[in-house]
Amino acid sequence: MIDAPLRVRAPSAGARVAIRVVRTQTERLMVRRSLRMPIETTADAGAMVTVWRRHGVGYCASADLSSAGLDAAAQVADEWARLAERHGVFDRVELDAVLDDRPLPDDAGPHGEALPARPDLFGLLHAESQALACDPRIVSWTARLAVTRGEQALQVDGRWRVRQSRRYVEANLEATAVDGPVSQTRTLAGQYNGFARQGGFEVIRASGLIGGGARVADEALQLLAAPECPSGVYDLLLAPDQMMLQIHESIGHPLELDRILGDERNFAGGSFVTLDMFGHYRYGSPLLNVTFDPGVPGELAGYAADDDGEAARKVWLIRDGVLQRPLGGGLSRARAAARGVVLEGTANSRAVGWHRPPIDRMANLNVEPGSASLESMIASVERGVLMSTNASWSIDDARNKFQFGCEWGRLIEAGRLTSVVRNPGYRGVSATFWRGLGAVGDATTVEVLGTPFCGKGEPGQVIRVGHAAPACLFRGVDVFGGG
Amino acid sequence: MRALFDRLADALERGVRGHEVIAATLEAEASEFVRINHGRLRQAGRVERAVARLRLVDGERQALHAITLPGLDAGSEALDAAVVAAIGSLRGAIADSEPDPWLDLNRAPVRSDDATPQRGFDRAAFIDCVAAAAGDADLVGFCSAGPVARGFCSSTGSRQWYLRSRVAFDWSVHLPPDASAAGERRAVKASWSGETLHPDALARAIAASLADASVIARPVRRLAPGSYRVLLAPQGFADLLDLLNWGGFSARADRSGQSPLAQLAAGRATLSPLLTVAEDLGTGLAPGFQGDGYPRPRRVPLIEHGRFAGLLVSPRSAREYGLESNAAAASEVAESLRVAPGELPPEAALARLGTGILVSNLWYLNFSDRPAGRVTGMTRFASLWVEDGTPVAPIEAMRFDDSVYRMLGDRLEALGTAVATLPADATYEARATGGVEVPSALISAVRFAL
Repeated sequence: MIDAPLRVRAPSAGARVAIRVVRTQTERLMVRRSLRMPIETTADAGAMVTVWRRHGVGYCASADLSSAGLDAAAQVADEWARLAERHGVFDRVELDAVLDDRPLPDDAGPHGEALPARPDLFGLLHAESQALACDPRIVSWTARLAVTRGEQALQVDGRWRVRQSRRYVEANLEATAVDGPVSQTRTLAGQYNGFARQGGFEVIRASGLIGGGARVADEALQLLAAPECPSGVYDLLLAPDQMMLQIHESIGHPLELDRILGDERNFAGGSFVTLDMFGHYRYGSPLLNVTFDPGVPGELAGYAADDDGEAARKVWLIRDGVLQRPLGGGLSRARAAARGVVLEGTANSRAVGWHRPPIDRMANLNVEPGSASLESMIASVERGVLMSTNASWSIDDARNKFQFGCEWGRLIEAGRLTSVVRNPGYRGVSATFWRGLGAVGDATTVEVLGTPFCGKGEPGQVIRVGHAAPACLFRGVDVFGGG
Repeated sequence: MRALFDRLADALERGVRGHEVIAATLEAEASEFVRINHGRLRQAGRVERAVARLRLVDGERQALHAITLPGLDAGSEALDAAVVAAIGSLRGAIADSEPDPWLDLNRAPVRSDDATPQRGFDRAAFIDCVAAAAGDADLVGFCSAGPVARGFCSSTGSRQWYLRSRVAFDWSVHLPPDASAAGERRAVKASWSGETLHPDALARAIAASLADASVIARPVRRLAPGSYRVLLAPQGFADLLDLLNWGGFSARADRSGQSPLAQLAAGRATLSPLLTVAEDLGTGLAPGFQGDGYPRPRRVPLIEHGRFAGLLVSPRSAREYGLESNAAAASEVAESLRVAPGELPPEAALARLGTGILVSNLWYLNFSDRPAGRVTGMTRFASLWVEDGTPVAPIEAMRFDDSVYRMLGDRLEALGTAVATLPADATYEARATGGVEVPSALISAVRFAL
C-alpha cells in the first residue's frame, strides 16, 4: 500500500484539495510462432491533484511527487477550478457535497494464488504454442500472459480517504488458419483482450489456457472448412463471452449518466436513455436483471471505492426488465439533481490512471442468472444459431443500432446443436433487442469475464471492466454470415 | 522537453556496461485538456507526462521496460536513478530471455532535430472565447493544447527529436432532438487548430459552425435499408481509411492472415484505378524516425491506381518474414496516409451526387468479414439527404455494411480535387501525432443494412 501522505498547500481560500496517487507495474510474456518474445515490463507512477471549489473543479496531473511539484500542480488545478466557476456547467451544483473525506478501510482485493516464476510461465506458454502449431494452415499462433499490479490512494484535504491495491491477470491463445482467400482466427478469450480477472495463478487455470492450445487450433481449422453462417431471422443463443460484449455496448454505455447528461456527444456519443426513464422504462423482458457489482470475487473491475472516494456496493440497474438507475457517480448525480432529477446511482467515477480525470464508467456490470439450463435453451430452439467469442463490434452514437460478429457459430436445428458456421454475426436495436430475451441461463452457465479495453472520454481513457453473465437466448434476431 | 530528452540520453550512456546497448523512445507532453458541454466548461486540467520506453540489448537477447519519468523537469540525478533501476529490471528480464532472431536495432549515431517553437496556452482567453462565441448554443467540444514530443536516443549516440506545439479544438453543435423522428439527434461537427490560440479566428470558426447548424434544423429523414449513392466527405473517407489501417497496410498482419486488404495484396482483387494511397511523411504530422532508431522514408507507396503497391514493413517483420524493411513503426500502422486527389471539384460534388446521401462522418467502424474486406459502421453528425444536388434534410443515423472492394472498387465514381489535412486527434494514453490527407469520394452505391 502507498503509505506516505503527500504534502500540498491549499492553493487559495475555499479550495479543497484531493490527491490521487496511482502506481502500476505490468509484465507481458508472449510466445509467438513458438518463439519466446522479448519480455515487456512497465512501471508507472504519478498523481492527479484536483481542486474542488464550491461551483468549479479543476485538475493537474504530474509524475513529480515532490512537495514543490504537487504545489505547482495545485496552482494549475485551482486556476482551472476558478475558470469553471466562471464558465462551468456547475452553476447550481453543490460540489462540496460530492467530496467525502471520511476514511474507508484499506482494501487489497483478492490475494490469489502465487504466480510461478517467469521460466515456468514461459513453459506453460511454450507447451500451448506447440499445441497450436498443429497444421501448416495455421500461419500465426500466439500464447500470452500479462500481470499488472496496481495500487492507488486517494487523499482528501490532507488525509487518506481510501487506499487500494489489486493484481490483474490476463491469459490468451490465438490461432489463425489460412486456406487461399479464407482466413479464420480462433482464440481462447477474444482477439483483442484475453481472459482477464483479478487474482493469481487460479486465473490462469480458470482461463483454460493450460491444455487449451489443441482446442483453439482445432476450432480454427474447423472454421476454415465450415460454411458461412446463414442469413435470416433466427433465434440466437449467446455464450457468456459474447454476452459480455452485448451487455457492455447496449446496456453499459447507454446507462452512463455522463453520456445521458451530454458530456460525450462530441466523441463517444450520447444515449437513447433519457433522465425521465428511470424507475419505469421497460428495457428488456421480465427475465432481464442487471447489476453493478464491485464485489464478485475475482471479477476484473472490483474495487472498494471509486476514484472520487465513494464506497462501492452492489445495486440493481435493471430489475425484472425495468430500468432502475444509471451508472452515475456522485458528480453526475449532483448535476442531475441540479436539473431537478434525483437519482440513485453507483460508485463508478473512474479514471484509467493518475494522468486522466474520473468520468462515469462501467465497472463490474453483470446479468444475473436465471433458471434455464443450457440444454433446455437449446432444446427450445427450432431454428437458431449459437454464437461465441466476440470478434467485431459496432454501435451507433446513441447506443441503439448495433452489429456484432463472433468467432464461433453453431446452428441449432430442431432443438439440437448441429454444424459449425463461420463469420456469424447479428444486428439489432438496443431499445428492442432486450425485450426479445426469451431465456436466461442458470448459474451453471455463468462465466466471470472482463476486458481491459473499454474506450471513452476526452482525453481518451481505456479502462478495465468486468462482465459476468449466463448464456442467454434471444428470439427472432437478424443473423448473417460473411462474404 | 528537449533538455529532458538530452538528460535521458546522457543517463542511458552512463547506465550501460560491457557489450550492452540501450536505446529509448521518449513520449512527452504538457497538455491542457478542456471539455465543453452546453457551451460551458465541463472538465479541464493539465497533464504533464513523459514515458521512456527502454530497450536493453545484450548480444542476441533483448528486453523492454517502459518507465514514467519523474516529472518533465526531472534532473540528471533523478533520471540516473530511474534509468539505473530500469536497467536492473531489464537485466533480470534478459536473464529469463532467449535469443531473439527478429531483433533489429539501428546502432548508427543518427542525429536529427525537427521541432517547432514550444508555445504557451492562455486558459482564460480560451474559455472566455468559447463561452462568448457559443452563447446559448448547445456546443460540445474538446480542446487539447501544448507541446507533444517524440524522441529516440541510444547509448550508441543516436539522438532523434520531434516536437510540435498545437492548439486543437474539435466541437459539435447540437440541436434539440427531433420529436417527429423518435428523438433523433441532430448535430454538425467542426474543428479549428493552430500552433497557438487565435481567439478571433476561433470565434469566427464557431460562428460559422452555428450557421452551418441551420441545415440540420429540418425534420430528420428516415431512410429504408438499401443501396444509396454516397458522397463521402473527407472526414468520412478518413474514418473508413482508419479502419483499413487496422492491419490493412501491415506486412505482419498480411503474413498472419489478419489483413482486411489481404485479397488486394494477394492480387486476387483490385480497387478503383482512381485510388492511389501512400504513407507520406511530407506533411510533418509524424516524426521522421521510428522506435528501432531508423529514419523513415519520405514516401511508401501502398496502393497505386487501385493495385497493390506495397506494405509497411518494420525492421522486425523484415527479419521475421524475410522482407525488405521500409522502416515502418513496430505497429505497422500508417501514421501519415495520403490519398491522391481526383478530378471532382468541391463546387460540383453535390451536383454529381444528384440524389443520395452526403456523409460527413462515419462512426464506430469494424469488420463484418475481415479477410473479405467487408466493413460496417454508422453515419454520424450532419449526414444529409440530397435531392438533385440540394441538401434537403438530415438523415437518421444509418448502418452501412459493404465491401471495400465494391465501395472503393467499381463503385468509386470520383475523388475530390481538394485534399483535406486532418491531424490525428486521438488522446488515448498520450496525444497522437500523425494524420491523414484525404479528398472526398463519390460512390455510386453503398449498401445500408439498418
